[in-house]
Order: sequence, then structure tokens, then C-alpha cells
Amino acid sequence: MTPLQFEQLHEAEWLELEELLNRLRGSRSKRASLPGNRLSQLYRRACEQLAMAHERAYPAYQIDRLQQLTANAHQVIYQQHELGVQRLIQLFTVDFPCAVRAHSTYVWVATLVLVLPTLIMGLLVYFKPELILSVVSADQAANFSHMYSDSAETIGRVRAADGDWAMFGFYIKNNIGISFQCFASGLFAGVGSLFFLAFNGVFGGAIAGYLTHLGLSRTFYSFIVTHSAFELTAIILSGAAGLHIGHALLSPKNQSRTQALVQASRESIVIVYGVIAMLIIAAAIEAFWSSARWMPLSMKYSVAGVCWAAVIAYLTLQGRGHSHARSYES
Amino acid sequence: MTRKVLDAAITSETPEGIMIELRPAGITVRCYAYMLDLFIRFMIGGVASAVLLPTMKGVGTGIVLVLFFGMEWFYPVAFELTRWGATPGKRTFGLKTVMDNGLPITPAASLIRNLLRTADFMPAMFGFGIVSMLIRRDFKRLGDIAAATLVVYEQKIATKPRPLDIEPVAPAFLLKPEDQAALMAFAARVVKLTAERQDELAAIAAPVAGCISSPDPIVTRKVLGVAQWLLGRRG
Repeated sequence: MTPLQFEQLHEAEWLELEELLNRLRGSRSKRASLPGNRLSQLYRRACEQLAMAHERAYPAYQIDRLQQLTANAHQVIYQQHELGVQRLIQLFTVDFPCAVRAHSTYVWVATLVLVLPTLIMGLLVYFKPELILSVVSADQAANFSHMYSDSAETIGRVRAADGDWAMFGFYIKNNIGISFQCFASGLFAGVGSLFFLAFNGVFGGAIAGYLTHLGLSRTFYSFIVTHSAFELTAIILSGAAGLHIGHALLSPKNQSRTQALVQASRESIVIVYGVIAMLIIAAAIEAFWSSARWMPLSMKYSVAGVCWAAVIAYLTLQGRGHSHARSYES
Repeated sequence: MTRKVLDAAITSETPEGIMIELRPAGITVRCYAYMLDLFIRFMIGGVASAVLLPTMKGVGTGIVLVLFFGMEWFYPVAFELTRWGATPGKRTFGLKTVMDNGLPITPAASLIRNLLRTADFMPAMFGFGIVSMLIRRDFKRLGDIAAATLVVYEQKIATKPRPLDIEPVAPAFLLKPEDQAALMAFAARVVKLTAERQDELAAIAAPVAGCISSPDPIVTRKVLGVAQWLLGRRG
């Protein structure tokens, strides 16, 4: 069969398939009435014809056209739908907490790497307050003590006029950025995640020790205690996700390093989804609740207690017994 | 028909047993696309700041900060999940992001490759990303490796050759399939060549038309005639 005969024979089918694929790109109503059987039939035939055209060394324009046609149909037929409300519900009721428990070793390591430097640095600065200058400049230290002083109108800010919304935006940009960095730098054999966890621990510990030394503990701890339930946990979890991909690179077990990395990334991205949600909650609490001065302390601490209990219970209990926590594979 | 050629194309086999050809995009074109995206983000940020900051005070600041955050991390994710699979910058340069097997990128993969951009950026100015793209055959940066994604050229179809006004000539002997393809490819791009170059190239293939190898317009017409015959035209 000559190329021209071949084209004449199959042209009608190619046009029909092209037409169907175009309709698929159109509106929802057009897609609903699509004859799926016909589409897959035409796709298989186009695959056969492409193989034939290759074998018989038909001219480039025909092979290219068939290749384009089959590639487009392949994309449509094997597409995976991951978005949707159902998927989100599954993610937060089962997948996220299960993924956290499945990688509990990394979570514990990340917790230690964050908490130990916090405690050590906190105690050091509490007893020798001049050490704060090894972490921040004198100006910054003065700023911090001003933010949490008893006379400040709203806690945790330099200027009261910034407004809750502006601070919400700031916390979103800053905190989620930090946690993404903590995750991404895990790619370097986990070293980056360890560094950012420890660094944040040292920084937080130094500030806490310094303010406690100055006698500002009342305002400071009542400010951080509620949102830290979400924020600290989220930073630890993103660090744990980073450690997971770093460890996969170091010790790929019976896979190639690339395969191990790809699989670890897919597993840990589920944790990152959860981290994003937790940090948005944290930013909202930090901006609109923690900074309010009119609230009695007892109320702040009881709400904080509820938040901590809720986060820990969610991560340890939610989705337990669910037979198969699906991982987000593609 | 598999031939060893100097080519960066990657093939991925589908369950139907056909090969999908992917052409990974190199560092230069990806740089252009990135810079265009950067410019677009810069413009959006500039306009939003100019409009929102003076008019809405605190709330405006909040919205602008969230917008900057969103554009820094989720601008590529949002665009990669559209049906073009590419940011405006990539689309402009004819690129798109796909999975290793040629399928549309999944939300998880898109998030992975864009969050790991931070790692590519280290130690400074995309140092690791650039090294990774330069030493790999498929030009992947670190984020692409972890997400199992590829940045490829959108496929372009070779244009259908206009039928040449030339008498079909039966080949002098039976031609191998790859030789037939070479002749038809020559006929397809002959319009883009100068007359001298046409003659030079045709001289190489002269034996198929039963002529002596010499750069001569008559030989060229004969060789192109053979290509017409192979396409299926008969007298």
C-alpha cells in the first residue's frame, strides 16, 4: 500500500478522532454526551496505524500526524483526576494523619532536632542574657522586648497600626515560606531540614529565654501558646517530610536512587498538603486571636489547651483503623 | 525501525505498544521562559501593590502579602494544572510540563517540583538546578527528578508537502523502507532549498532513478519523481 492510499483509507477515522478530542476540550455539556466507546476504539485503531506507518517507513508528515493524534488521545484516556471535594475529604480525614503516623520516626527525629536546641538555647540565654546577641542584633532584641512589653497595645507587633489583616498576610508569607524551605532543603540528604529545624529552635529558644529573663513571660507565652499548637507542629512535620526524602536518597534500599526519591516525594507531599492547611490556621489564630489584649489569660490558656489536645489527637487518632490509607500515587 | 541518531528525544511506551516521543527542553529556552514568568509576576505584583496599598490600608497589605506568597510558590502550580500544562512563559516558548510517561502532570507532582525549586536555587542563583540540567540527558532539574516530570517541547507536525508538479518515476530497484523515507523527506523539504543544494543532494540519490551521480537539474527531477512514485502517485 502506498502512503497516499493509506491516507485515503484512514483519513475519515483520523478526522473523527480529532473532532472527538476537540470536543473533549470544550465545555462540560459537550463532554457529557461524548461516545467513550467510539473514542477508545478510534484510539486503538490509530495506534495500530501508527505502528504500521512506522514499519512501512511512511513519510514524516503522516507519522507526525498519527503521533500527535495518539499522544493527544493517550493524554485524555489515561488522565488521572486527583482534584475534587471527595479527594480533599479523604486527604484530611485519612491520608494526612495516616501519612504522619507512617513516618513517625522522622517526626520524632524532627521534634528532637527542633526542641533540644530550643531548650538548651532558652536556658543559656535565661541565665546569661547577653548571649541573645549571638543570635540577633541589639536593635532586634530591643524590638522583641518592646513587642511583648506590658504597655504594648497589641502583643507581638512593633506597631499597632499594622492591623490584623496585614499581619495575617505577613504570617502566611513568612511561616509557610519557612516550612517549605525546611521541606525542600531535605533533598540534600536531609541536612538542610536538620539545619532549618535546629536554626528555628535556636532562634525561638533564644527569644523565649531572653523575654523570660526580662520578666515578660506573661505576655509572651500567652501570645505564642495557642497558634504554636499548629505552627510548631507544622514546622516539625515539614522537616520530617524533608528528612524522609533525604533518607530515601541516602538509603534507597532495593530501588534505584531516583525511584526511591520519586516515591518518597510522593509520600511526603501528602504531609506537605496537611502542613499548608495547618499553617493557614496558625496564621489566622496568630493574627486575630493571639494578639488580642482584652482576653483574660485563663481563657487564652484554656483555648490553647483545647488546640494542643485537638492537634495531637487528630494526628494520633484520626483515620486509625481505616483499612487502606491511600497514598497519592500517580 | 530504530536507528541510532544523535538526538535528545525520549520515548515512552504506552500500554497499546506505541512509542510516544518527548523532546526535553534545554536550559536556554527554559531560562527565557522563567524570565518571562518572572516579569509577569513582577507586573502583577506591581499593579496589585499600586492599587491595593493606598486604597485599603491594612487589609490591602494583607492581600498583597498573600498574593506575593501565592505567586512565589503556587503561580507555576496553578498554570501547570490547566490543560496547557504550562505557565504563560513556557507557553510562549512552546514548552509544557508533563509526567515522565508523557501524561498530563498531576497536582502532587506539580507541587513537588515547584516546592523543590528552593533546592534548585541553592547555593545561589539556581546553582544546583543549572548543574543538574547541564549534566543530564533529559535536562531535568532536581525538582523534576523528584517529581518524575519533564519539561518538553509541544509537538509540532511536519507540514504536508505540496504535491510537486513532477512526473512520477518508477524506482530503478527495490528500496529499503528507510531509504524510501529519506527520499520522501527530501521531496518534502525541497522547496526550502536553493536549486544548487537540491542538485547536490539529488546527486547522492541519483542511482535510485537509474542516473549517474552528477549535480544536474534533470537528475533532480528524476529523483523527485521517484519520491512521487513512492508516495503513491502513478503517471
